[in-house]
Amino acid sequence: MASDSLAGVPLAWPEQPGELPRRFDSRQALEAELQQLFPEAPGALSPIRGGRRQAETLLNRLQPERYAKGRNFLDGPVTRLSPYIRHGVLTLAEVRDAVFARTRSRQGSEKLINELGWRDYWQRLWQQLGDGIWRDQEELKTGHSAAAYASTLPADIDEGRTGLACMDGFIAELHTSGWLHNHARMWLAAYLVHWRRIRWQAGAQWFLRHLLDGDPASNNLSWQWVASSFSHKPYFFNRGNLERYSNGSFCRSCALREQGCPFDASYEQLEAELFAPLPAIRAVDHRNREGGRDRNSTRQGAPSAALSRPARRR
Amino acid sequence: MQRPILWLHGEALGPANPALLAYPDRPAVFVFDSALLAGLSPTTGDPEGPNEPVSLQRIGFLYECLLELPVSLRKGDVAEEVLAFARAHGAEGIVTSAGTDPRVAAICQTLEQQLPVEVLAVEPFVQLEGPADLGRFSRYWRRAEREVWASWGQEG
Repeated sequence: MASDSLAGVPLAWPEQPGELPRRFDSRQALEAELQQLFPEAPGALSPIRGGRRQAETLLNRLQPERYAKGRNFLDGPVTRLSPYIRHGVLTLAEVRDAVFARTRSRQGSEKLINELGWRDYWQRLWQQLGDGIWRDQEELKTGHSAAAYASTLPADIDEGRTGLACMDGFIAELHTSGWLHNHARMWLAAYLVHWRRIRWQAGAQWFLRHLLDGDPASNNLSWQWVASSFSHKPYFFNRGNLERYSNGSFCRSCALREQGCPFDASYEQLEAELFAPLPAIRAVDHRNREGGRDRNSTRQGAPSAALSRPARRR
Repeated sequence: MQRPILWLHGEALGPANPALLAYPDRPAVFVFDSALLAGLSPTTGDPEGPNEPVSLQRIGFLYECLLELPVSLRKGDVAEEVLAFARAHGAEGIVTSAGTDPRVAAICQTLEQQLPVEVLAVEPFVQLEGPADLGRFSRYWRRAEREVWASWGQEG
């Protein structure tokens, strides 16, 4: 196949000594070269290809209405455009126009345009915060002090051997493909921060090292949203939620499917287990219930780790 | 600007890069940023955390994006390599695109000590007059959504 050989587009100027190669016989040859050039970088090439051609292929598959309906499912019709947008292979304006070109009714495309808006919002915040994006934007609302969180990633997480089929599956995908569905990012982040009580910065840095779309804007601020330093309350989930949106694919093969699953509980039980009593959390909950919505209902104002943002449902 | 070289950075690796559009025939360079790839910059690492290198899959993705662009590739200290590239091509200035990452502006400042730098804006997703309230997404979106959809109306 022609696409197997990787030749850079021709240059109209002479190359200088010491510049990096632009022609490879195959992807394997590129990988071998990069391992030599960047010996400290862990891992191998992602099955996800970089470049404008692949970005346009994905752009041509956009289905805004199907996206709106199925985006919360791990196998749902999400765009997978985030790595290309993050590196400007496609601009947000180009993606916006591609969505418009496929828009029959405004309502059908509102969700996808809204998610592009999240990307723009995070970028504007990064511009405003600069490197301060690594600091808590607000106090945590978990009832635990910042000092209660571990500052480094435990080995079982970095190595993907937590014993939880879902989390180990997400970690393997993060390490091999460099891309995760937004729902998987949120579950993994909540597991780290709330169940394992690890500082969000350690998780954010781990993601940035591996995610093809990683930038401190969408990534760090979404971690802060999960942790509750950029939201009114912490994000967490339970087994029912994960099982539903993953179509049970992890739970079926999990060694803890019958007993021992740390997520297998009601939201009330998990809240009592994970968070220390904090008057502010109860007050927020109370207001929400009066409004007819519980803490895990869909909210306008919940952030997106990437371009698709799952609703929080039981 | 007469006879510039173009500096492409990691936020604009597509044909809509305004520097490539404005100077399609001038030599362009991308530099794999050694400090950033080592996890030593806030772009990839917590300033207070341990320094850990970026994975090969991220580097490979960038590399494949770059092979589809007319750009020479280097690695090392970005400002030093861009200036060396400019000297090799007898350039009288450097053109690049605006970046969100504060590191882009910092590198431009270093470059400016040696050569004039022109920074071109990328087409925005939405143009908002005056400062936007970014306290929460809902406040930003209340303003932005209307503006975004106004451009659909114009096209449709």
